[in-house]
Amino acid sequence: MKKVAAVIALVIGTITLFSFKQTDDKLISKKSQIDIFSHTDAEDINAVNFSSTATLSKESGDVVVSVPMQSFEFKKALMQKHFNSEKFLDTKAFPKAKFKGKITNLKDINFTKDGVYNATVSGEMTIKETTNPVNEKGTVTVKGGQVTVDTKLKIVLADYKIAFEKGKPSKNIAKTIDVTMKIEY
Amino acid sequence: MTKDKKKKIRKIVLLTILFGALVGGAIVFYLWNMPHIDVQAQKADFSVSSTSIVNEYLKDEKAANAKYLGDEGDSKIFVIKGTVKSKDTDMNNQVTILLQEANDKAGVKCVFMAETNNNANTLQIGQQTKIKGIIRSGAKYDEDLELYEDVLLEKCDVVTE
Repeated sequence: MKKVAAVIALVIGTITLFSFKQTDDKLISKKSQIDIFSHTDAEDINAVNFSSTATLSKESGDVVVSVPMQSFEFKKALMQKHFNSEKFLDTKAFPKAKFKGKITNLKDINFTKDGVYNATVSGEMTIKETTNPVNEKGTVTVKGGQVTVDTKLKIVLADYKIAFEKGKPSKNIAKTIDVTMKIEY
Repeated sequence: MTKDKKKKIRKIVLLTILFGALVGGAIVFYLWNMPHIDVQAQKADFSVSSTSIVNEYLKDEKAANAKYLGDEGDSKIFVIKGTVKSKDTDMNNQVTILLQEANDKAGVKCVFMAETNNNANTLQIGQQTKIKGIIRSGAKYDEDLELYEDVLLEKCDVVTE
């Protein structure tokens, strides 16, 4: 009986140890900001989102960002309606977009030493259940144990089958959207 | 047709065009300047506990999305009753309150606004409260994040009555 208890204790101990190890390695975002920007001769449109959830593994370099699409806030309510509508991002059916990737030059980043490190990120973006590869550059800032990731990427709307077929929005929205992400862990 | 009659018809046509242009202009003006939904001024569509909305989402995310998310972002307005588990601020300096019970896998993250932040700040960890806001996304276990995502409520305020 004592043996069984000892084995159980060992198992529980090991599990606890591993789960602590994982939380130490894996950073969970505390704050985030994602800006999207579209420029055409007709108008500039931008929107901002403060509600994403992200993780970053210091050991594997794995980065995951989950973006609640209805949280994008536009200046004009009408634009926000267009953005969410079935014809465009259909956020009712596809409420989240996701980036899943890896920092490929992890060896250049020292998470224990303050500094701004250049990072290359490679992965895939899924919007409206359509997935495309993403390869971008960014920075990882380490300051007093706090890690911040900044990155900019371009999204070609056609790659995700996102388009207004006709009408004003089709002319006023750029074919390529600039996305700026800032994530604080 | 007499000259007078022709004149009269022309007048009617012109007036109709003018009227049409005015109405059209007014509609375009309204659409262009349409205000954002004032969540706090609206009546809540649902009043539930954080546990019940979280469990509904964990049970069937698709069905819950179909029920609660709006076609053009005009999603349902909730009053959520729950216990304050944690308090934070986002990058826009908006206070966020997580309502979650001890045994639940996920909670409801409530994002306040500049004009309601002070009300959020009066809440204490462990306190029972009611918060009203618009739902933006539901709870689910995300295999890539390896964690449970909370239900997200925005444009929040504390319900006092």
